[in-house]
Amino acid sequence: MTFLCVGLSHKEAPIAVREQLAVPLEQIGERLEKLRKLPGVREALLVSTCNRIEVYAIADSRGVGEDILGELGPIAAPHAKCRFDEEGVKHLFRVAASLDSMVVGEAQILGQVKEAAALAHQAGAMGAEINRALAAAVRAAKRVRTETEIARGAVSLSSVAVRLAHKLLGSLERRSVLLLGAGEMAQLAARELRSEGASELLVANRSPARAEELAREISGVPVSLAELPTLLERADVAICSTGAAHHVVTRELMARALKARRYRPIFLVDLTLPRNVDPSVNELENVYVYDLDDLERVAAQNRDLRALHVDKAEEIVEEELRAYFARLHERKSMPVLARLRAYAEGVARQEAEKTLAALNGLGEKERKSVRAMAAAIVNKLLHAPTARLRAEAGQGPLGEAAAALFGLEDEPGPQPVPMPVPDPAPDPAPAPLPEPDPEPAVLPLVRNG
Amino acid sequence: MATILVHISLLAYAAGAAAFLTWLVKPDARWVRSGRLLLLAGLALHVGAFLAPADTNLATIGLGAGNWKGGQLFSLLAAITVAGYLILDWRYDLPVAGAFVAPFTVAVMVPAHLVPSTARAIAPQLYHSIALRIHVGAAAVGTGILALAFGLALLYLASEKQMKTKRPGRLFARLPSLDLIDKAGYRLAVWGFVFLSLAIATGSLASHEATGHALPFAPKQGFAILAWALFASLIQARLVAGWRGRRVAFLVITGFVLIIGTYVGLLTAPALHVAGTV
Repeated sequence: MTFLCVGLSHKEAPIAVREQLAVPLEQIGERLEKLRKLPGVREALLVSTCNRIEVYAIADSRGVGEDILGELGPIAAPHAKCRFDEEGVKHLFRVAASLDSMVVGEAQILGQVKEAAALAHQAGAMGAEINRALAAAVRAAKRVRTETEIARGAVSLSSVAVRLAHKLLGSLERRSVLLLGAGEMAQLAARELRSEGASELLVANRSPARAEELAREISGVPVSLAELPTLLERADVAICSTGAAHHVVTRELMARALKARRYRPIFLVDLTLPRNVDPSVNELENVYVYDLDDLERVAAQNRDLRALHVDKAEEIVEEELRAYFARLHERKSMPVLARLRAYAEGVARQEAEKTLAALNGLGEKERKSVRAMAAAIVNKLLHAPTARLRAEAGQGPLGEAAAALFGLEDEPGPQPVPMPVPDPAPDPAPAPLPEPDPEPAVLPLVRNG
Repeated sequence: MATILVHISLLAYAAGAAAFLTWLVKPDARWVRSGRLLLLAGLALHVGAFLAPADTNLATIGLGAGNWKGGQLFSLLAAITVAGYLILDWRYDLPVAGAFVAPFTVAVMVPAHLVPSTARAIAPQLYHSIALRIHVGAAAVGTGILALAFGLALLYLASEKQMKTKRPGRLFARLPSLDLIDKAGYRLAVWGFVFLSLAIATGSLASHEATGHALPFAPKQGFAILAWALFASLIQARLVAGWRGRRVAFLVITGFVLIIGTYVGLLTAPALHVAGTV
């Protein structure tokens, strides 16, 4: 069995290719069904975001990768990459931890991966193997988020502006936002501020008609640009992008407004070139002016900060990968152990009961002793082989040798040996059971992002 | 018994300080949780020490008669500061202030417990003075609160500078909003002012009981009156002209320095609570 990862991301293909390949949410189930029907595919998961389209699958052989690639379509072929086994699993871990993202540390990808898992469950394409790998990847991703700073700090200009507004004003509830002009980024920032709880959105524009139209679009209140002095008294955040060739907010205007607003702090975001806000306004007390360069500098600083923590994040991923593979190997070695033990215990029980049937006149105590002796012999004999098989963790030749030696190959799994005695007495030396799977059988399906 | 409790509580404060400082470098919420728990445990032991019988009673922590030992007032101050911080943190979620308060507490406590305590006399006529007890209590509470306000003022200035110069530093992400620091600092300044007023009024009464002078002229009294006037004008400026931010932070810092001046005056005075008379 092979773990496959077939697909492409922003690293391999330009956006023109990716947008043609992207699978809409409602079609994912259908595509998974097709993938699942390919010969040799046992389990499949399809992750489709604007930056990647990738199929993770458990297949009978590596050759199945070609068929999956064919299923993705001819446009994908020149760009797509096939990753197998450990490399494939590692890729899944890195994707979930946002180390493979265009903006490293972005939060959406983990939600998108979980959503893909939920869809694969619905489509019946998800199986135990991928589920286990995915659960481990999610755990690694969560550790990366909590133990490193790669997700800290906003990296897009509008979100930097919103974070700074929070830094200055705390909660944005009951705060007033003034939008001067109708630049696209200003609208984006205004919407973001609104979704963060800002209670009032004042929209001013040179053209009153445009102000009204925009106010309707972003559920704000149209106001006149002529009222600017009063508006500056009222607003807590002002976003300027008027397209005027001169300073709309001058130092004098702001100084007057500041006095009237009793020095309440105000955050002015200037998103235009040439600038709308006189840079010297920043020198006024409790007034903070950020222009495009300032926002970009903070964003760049956050990006650098994230990059600093990538190594630590990669270490965590490696650590979790090692733990995952160790568990996988242990699991692989387990069936032989379990079958061996079940076989030996079955023989011991049968022989003990045969002997007991032949010996008449034994009391309950003596009968128990005979059974305990049979179980103890099994335990003693199997002690060393059990330890060696566990240590080998399915990687060495002993597992197969044991299976061949004791004639255990043909059994599909540990089969209960019929128990001829209806004796409910507990086994004096209970056989160690195979360790329970440390991972949940089904990944918690959380939809977000 | 009480001494051992105080020593253990000092250890808890020191461990709490270490936890908060580690959090500044390594942002894991577990450090903050341990820091808070350690401070809380330290405070419980500390209060236990004050209440413990035998070698401590209200007199030995500076409230009134008996021999006044150098350390106890500072010890009381530390306990009040920690209690104030825990309330502040519970109300506003300000772990970054913990990184200031916990080391401050240790800095106040260590000299208090290492310096050999020298017994200093209190004027006999004040042994049972209620005014003196209230005076010392109010002074300790007021100083504790103003120490917190001072810490927040420093935090405000550091945070504001980063915001103005547009160069967020390493800790920027962990600092609370400027608005919150400003509001919390101002509220503390108001409460500090209330207790300072009470301390001055009762101090004046006690002085009158001991010497017949309500307001003797001495460094301690001078600093206290200056600090009181400064906090009064700060509150006035905030209420009338809406002063806030940097100006208020600078005033709080100056006010706290003046309060420290009263303690220096206290330690250098020839006798306690009746300065300028004995």
